[in-house]
Amino acid sequence: MGITENILKRVGLGVNKPSGDQPSTFWSRNRGWLLLTITGALFAAYPFLPFISDYWIDVAFFVGIYALLGLSLNIVLGEVGLFDLGHTAFYAVGAYVTAILNTTLHVPIIVLLPLSALIAAGFAFLVTSPVIHLKGDYLCIVTIGIGEIVRLTMINNPFNLTGGPNGINGIGGPNLFGLAINSSTQFYFYTWIIIGIVVFGLVRLQHSRIGRAWNYIREDETAAEASGVDVRSYKLLAFVLGAALAGIAGNIYASKQMSVSPQSFTFIESSLLFCIVLLGGLGSIPGSILGAAVVVVFPEVFRQFATYRLLFFGLALMLMMIFRPGGMWPRKREGTGLDGLGIRGLPKKDEDLIPLGKPDPAMLKPSTTAVVRGVKLPPVTVVMDEGMLLQTHGATLKFGGLTAVNNFDLNVRTGKITSLIGPNGAGKTTLFNMITGIYKPTSGQIDFLGRDITGLKPHTIISYGIARTFQNIRLFPSLTCIENIMSGPHCHARSGTWAAIMHTIGEVREERDIVATAAYRLDQVGLWKYRNELAKNLPYGKQRYLEIARALATAPHLLILDEPSSGLNDRESEDLMVLLQALVKEGFTLLLIEHDMQVVMGISDWVAVMDMGQKIAEGLPKDIYNNQRVIEAYLGKEDD
Amino acid sequence: MATFFEQLINGLTIGSFYALVALGYSMVYGVMKLINFAHGDLFALGSYLGYTLLIASSSWVTVHFGLWGGMAIAMLFAFVGIGLAGVLMERIAYRPVYPAGRLSLVVSALGMSIFLQNGIMAIWGSRPQAYPAAVVPSTRFSLLGLPVTSLQVVILLLSFTLMLVIWFIVEKTTFGAAIRATALDRSTATLMGIDVRVVIFFIFALGPALGGIAGVMNGLYYRAISFNMGWTYGLKAFTATILGGIGNIPGAMIGGLLLGLMESLFAGYISGAWKDVFVFVILIAVLLWRPTGLLGEKTAEKV
Repeated sequence: MGITENILKRVGLGVNKPSGDQPSTFWSRNRGWLLLTITGALFAAYPFLPFISDYWIDVAFFVGIYALLGLSLNIVLGEVGLFDLGHTAFYAVGAYVTAILNTTLHVPIIVLLPLSALIAAGFAFLVTSPVIHLKGDYLCIVTIGIGEIVRLTMINNPFNLTGGPNGINGIGGPNLFGLAINSSTQFYFYTWIIIGIVVFGLVRLQHSRIGRAWNYIREDETAAEASGVDVRSYKLLAFVLGAALAGIAGNIYASKQMSVSPQSFTFIESSLLFCIVLLGGLGSIPGSILGAAVVVVFPEVFRQFATYRLLFFGLALMLMMIFRPGGMWPRKREGTGLDGLGIRGLPKKDEDLIPLGKPDPAMLKPSTTAVVRGVKLPPVTVVMDEGMLLQTHGATLKFGGLTAVNNFDLNVRTGKITSLIGPNGAGKTTLFNMITGIYKPTSGQIDFLGRDITGLKPHTIISYGIARTFQNIRLFPSLTCIENIMSGPHCHARSGTWAAIMHTIGEVREERDIVATAAYRLDQVGLWKYRNELAKNLPYGKQRYLEIARALATAPHLLILDEPSSGLNDRESEDLMVLLQALVKEGFTLLLIEHDMQVVMGISDWVAVMDMGQKIAEGLPKDIYNNQRVIEAYLGKEDD
Repeated sequence: MATFFEQLINGLTIGSFYALVALGYSMVYGVMKLINFAHGDLFALGSYLGYTLLIASSSWVTVHFGLWGGMAIAMLFAFVGIGLAGVLMERIAYRPVYPAGRLSLVVSALGMSIFLQNGIMAIWGSRPQAYPAAVVPSTRFSLLGLPVTSLQVVILLLSFTLMLVIWFIVEKTTFGAAIRATALDRSTATLMGIDVRVVIFFIFALGPALGGIAGVMNGLYYRAISFNMGWTYGLKAFTATILGGIGNIPGAMIGGLLLGLMESLFAGYISGAWKDVFVFVILIAVLLWRPTGLLGEKTAEKV
């Protein structure tokens, strides 16, 4: 499984297409390597072609700069979906760090290459961490603001460092262990070799838990957080990595131009980068490179039209979005055979894969020890009542003057099915949101497995062993079913950026475990044959099962289901009941919100009733069934 | 005190340009959830349209209708012209792209912006043009002992009137209710019998048209206009929109005026070179304090 397949192999997204049915020819087996060799040869030959002048080699160099910038913005905008219209700021920081340190302290350019990446990354961390929680357009204007602040600061020449509007001249060129790089051809190779290395790393990241976590956030931030992704950290990571790449581009640009000035880092530049990513296709690595080529080459080709060339360019951008809104080379989600997911060491046949998930009890069964895979839980501090898995004590949530949940004590017994019922608007989902960490209680305490989990972040709570589904299904719509479920084991895995790029032994094993777990759960809910189908294409009922499978894949102790049977017909509801009972047998504890009384009375061991935020009754299903207050809450009181 | 007053009037004048442009941004955003990056360039185009009319056949308009008459006609011309341009822009650049989603719309808007900017350059040239002194009223007088120009007074009065009219239309009329309903939930609005196409037509005509008037006023006030001034004004107006709370009509007005005031006071008292840095720092600070702007409603996502 080579990197090339991931970049170049365009695997079709067929439903239920077994991996083994294609004839194995020399071409199909080595397609990736062949395409990589051809691409490499074309790149290597380009400067030596007879009709290519130095001018066009320089154009190719600038395509490289913009490709790097496009790839760097693609991480933030394409992978995570963050609206960044000030990305030039990081490019500028890289370029100016290079310019200032080279001209004043005479630090060699080649040393400054990693240093500008590091400083740009540090700068990104500093400026984005206070604002990273802002949503959509608000984050957008803040990034524009950061871009403008950086540019204006360069113009205003603080401490005589930046040279004002004229910038800094006399920057040296890179010197690679005695080989000075100064001709157009040398710069061309220097840049494109760096891009090659960057692309290698980015492809690896795309196919790791990091890249998937980014995509989960892009698809649905709340669902990502609720599936165990530390949304804030992964957003910051995207900005930091993106800025590092932009810093590298800045360094190369400064050393090639031998000068930097604020005119190169305007808002227009940032918006061009934005266009590069969208022209190529969101989240698509070859797309970003292609987008850069279009944005740089287009105005060059139309140079003879002088004043009209940008006019045409603007027109072309619009036409492009009308006729090919997904971009020129959109990323396809990998499918057909699990090798398409880029995980090595998996069995070739599907049938061999599903049992593979089984033998690893730590990944599947709720763990009874304090260590759940990679995550070490804090020591037990709270004494809970005998036999209880989860207890809320006086849980209260107020929205302004409205008390949504009032002093609620909920008890969930280990290994049982507890149902929470009540009329619409009683506050049931709000209580669930408090337990899972989406809302912070105004007062009260929530204990789980002997630990106080009140006010913890959702991704932390899930790693403790509470998983949930949503009332209105929240999947990652444009990802495949198996990718959806692979978010489950995410919170128990540890591999970081470096491990993902290097494919360390631990990382490869972890990835294999993640796929195996996902495969097992997908099979368990009967959706294995839809593994490569995009989640949004599934019918409603199947989406519910997919969501349950995703929650199960986190290996929870407690599974919280918010109206699992809503939207299902009678037969589907019965199937669901069978599945839920099987889950209890497997060792899970269940907590449900449910309106379907047949489901509630049929499978619950314990029922709590909520009305107007308060607990009005609690007991065995048959007692609740006949409870006068419960009947009043549902049907209203008879006045006379 | 005189300096302060001067900066205040100056700030309010610039602020009212920002506010008018921001209103257009906010109206379009409110209904379409689209950041119309070409909006600033329509403002610039408005400026050029007014300029062209005022200098045409040796200022024929001013000669025949007088200074104020000429000004009024130029503004009306820009109002109608830019309103039409706005509607055309929606038809050409946005309507075909709606199904593709918001990010594609942003690219299309950026493309439109580049197109307009370079279109202006192709027609009127890359060098700045100037509104001739002969078409600009220059009477100065003293208001409560402080010097103002008649142009400033007219600009302020007109902008505030326009803002009030827009506020009245959006908040107090039935059609305004239709606009607000469309902004909140387009499909429900359709079900309630609102012709969403009319609403879209209206906001894409009126929003840019206000910018067109602001463009002419800006030309009369500063005299010099350039093909790429739309970027700067667009960016400032967008900042004002966010500052006030995007999609919120009074928010856009307050955001614009506040931005103008802060800018000119900071420039007058502390440093002209750092004023824009100051503006963006304030913006970020406001967003940290109120993540949806000054008047923006807190949106809680239903989970």
